[in-house]
Amino acid sequence: MTQATTAIPHAEALARLASGATPTLRKSGLSRELLLERYHPDHAPAAAATLQIGANAGERCHPTLAELLQANALIDGFDLAGAEQLSTDVLVIGGGGAGAAAALTAASHGADVIMACKLRLGDSNTVMAEGGIQAALGRDDSPQRHFEDTLRGGHYRADPLLVAQLASDAPDAIRWLIELGMHFDVTDAATDGGTLRYKQAGGCTQPRILSYRDYTGLEMMRVLRETVELDPAIRLLNRCPAVELLSHDDGSCAGAVLFDLEYQRFVVVSARSVILATGGCGRLHLQGFPTSNHYGATADGLVLAYRLGAKLRDLDSFQYHPTGIAFPSRLAGGLISEAARSCGAWLINGLGERFIDELAPRDVVTAAILRECADGRGIERDGRIGVFLDTPRLARQWPEGIEHHLPALAHLAAKCGIDPATEPMLVYPTLHYQNGGVVIDGEGRSTVPGLLCAGEVSGGIHGRNRLMGNALLDIIAFGRRAGQRAAEDIGKRPLRRGDIEHVYSWQRTLVQSGLPRQARAPRLYPGPGHYPLHRNERSLA
Amino acid sequence: MSNTLRISIDGKEKEAQAGDSILQAHLKGDETVTANIGCMGQGVCGACRCLVRKEGERETATRLACETLAEEGMQVSFMDYYQPARVSRYGLEDIRDGWEWMKHLRDVFPEASNCRHCSGCDRACPKGITVQEGIALASRGELQAAAEVFDACIMCNLCTLACPENIRPNHVGLFLRRAHAAQTLRPGDLLRRLDQQRRGELAIDLSAVPTAQGERA
Repeated sequence: MTQATTAIPHAEALARLASGATPTLRKSGLSRELLLERYHPDHAPAAAATLQIGANAGERCHPTLAELLQANALIDGFDLAGAEQLSTDVLVIGGGGAGAAAALTAASHGADVIMACKLRLGDSNTVMAEGGIQAALGRDDSPQRHFEDTLRGGHYRADPLLVAQLASDAPDAIRWLIELGMHFDVTDAATDGGTLRYKQAGGCTQPRILSYRDYTGLEMMRVLRETVELDPAIRLLNRCPAVELLSHDDGSCAGAVLFDLEYQRFVVVSARSVILATGGCGRLHLQGFPTSNHYGATADGLVLAYRLGAKLRDLDSFQYHPTGIAFPSRLAGGLISEAARSCGAWLINGLGERFIDELAPRDVVTAAILRECADGRGIERDGRIGVFLDTPRLARQWPEGIEHHLPALAHLAAKCGIDPATEPMLVYPTLHYQNGGVVIDGEGRSTVPGLLCAGEVSGGIHGRNRLMGNALLDIIAFGRRAGQRAAEDIGKRPLRRGDIEHVYSWQRTLVQSGLPRQARAPRLYPGPGHYPLHRNERSLA
Repeated sequence: MSNTLRISIDGKEKEAQAGDSILQAHLKGDETVTANIGCMGQGVCGACRCLVRKEGERETATRLACETLAEEGMQVSFMDYYQPARVSRYGLEDIRDGWEWMKHLRDVFPEASNCRHCSGCDRACPKGITVQEGIALASRGELQAAAEVFDACIMCNLCTLACPENIRPNHVGLFLRRAHAAQTLRPGDLLRRLDQQRRGELAIDLSAVPTAQGERA
């Protein structure tokens, strides 16, 4: 992370803010396009590489991700000898909201399901989501507007068919969640069954974020997890990361190889269809940025799908959420939900100025904050640089607001040792979301037969910038679509044991291209990579 | 800030800096952590539940490692997750009939009326939820009030582990919360929108792809 060498001392900035003058919004002087081009991390020279092999050879990709995509497999043929054998109609890989929605839907359409989780069912970015979920329900709103906002927010680079499905699936996705027992905030409960409460999101023409307080993801995930655990058609395998996919002779997907960490052995799961719901890659800390992501977000699904030949897209496009915690350093990267800005909190630089419409799309706000910091108008506290999120002003205008509507913010501020009603929090952009991913069709199918994807691992839904509330919607809408498709394909897909012929072919390609064979992926866990599977591998080497 | 302290985690000595959480101390060193870790500081996933004993104290407390600061001489033991031998089974149909709430609750969680008021669940909860009161409300039939008690529950299952009567209080709470939403939440705006879509209205016009002109200044 490049930070300015100069910044305004915290005490000075604080005194300026406390003087009580109403901050003015400084004119940008740069078009949005120029702001993004000059200051957004995706456009930095350190963010550009070109893939040499695979379905996207010749295309742009983030170098850190390219290294993993072009790596060798973790396993070899002899690892499969003596492995435990399981078989099922549908194998779901990934224990977050998308995986749970896919598993439940496949099971309800008659499929036998195995759900494999790297950590534990529910350990995911879903449970951490605070802001909410988009659905166009208001009288002045429509799925059409939701569709148009999403396309515009993504800089017109999303697949319009997928976006149209996202927007029109939204009302039924909310109904499905309520039927499972999820709560949403309601206004005016006495009249007409009530109306769901809508919050404004950046880049949207209508307020359409539905939420449950500011722990919507927790409410969603605890309901989904309980439903999965109680479903007799779903066999749950916790602590079983997928280390490789299996293929048939025709290149289609035949299941996956898992590594069972409890018993320290490989498990071969033959499946008619595999649904990848492995999430994103924040824990790769691209360009040294802190991340808001869950421990497990290490791009595993992209690596597995790419090696099997699936086409990916937008591999150079990531979302850096504008308001990560900058101070204290032990919480750096932790997310302050957009809900705070949605409720009216301003961003203020070290000179006491506003410098951007706080509800502009996330990439624009991020670029604007990085610009302030690069130009020396950031605020420095104990070596950490950022800008202020002016919660004291919000608290003065809306005295009960923080406590009642932003309890997670209050909780977070307390952990930072800050009273948000009197002291602003220091914020800096944090790596939040992988905009691109595996190319899918309207039913979650990748370009590899038998391999489907749902949630953050898939691409094309959000273009090159995702709007608040569209991730929780994406995982439910496309999780359900993929689950249904996989269940309906039961009669069309074979249940035979596959092999890892595609890995051998990949290894030949690595040699031919002069790429190293020592680098191994997927990474599975952040950190030094000393876990049983690797010990096993070293002893075999 | 460079105040080094030592703590013991699962029997291993670790060095930490003052201000580190237990979880951050755990992550130092060359072993990759593959369990008991999740949201890393937000305190919403419950994966890093652990037993903590402070130096010089006899009592152990249950905590979330990501939300608890490391202290000199602390002893920490992470608590694995496992599938309990007996899982309360209920289906969606059991949470959808509002007239039979109390019967379903009794059928699925017959132990809920056996609470002996030991407060073990209250002490175990890292979120300060008044678990025992929630169970008392539930067995008195005040189901909505009981559901509300568990509003901020992260399902770490520590109350379930603590209960000598095998009540599984957090699952009782979630059962009541789910039943309440599934039976009572019928927002008018959602019903109207679903009905419009059912009648084929509001289909999206894919050709009306917006252009950059519509952007806000």
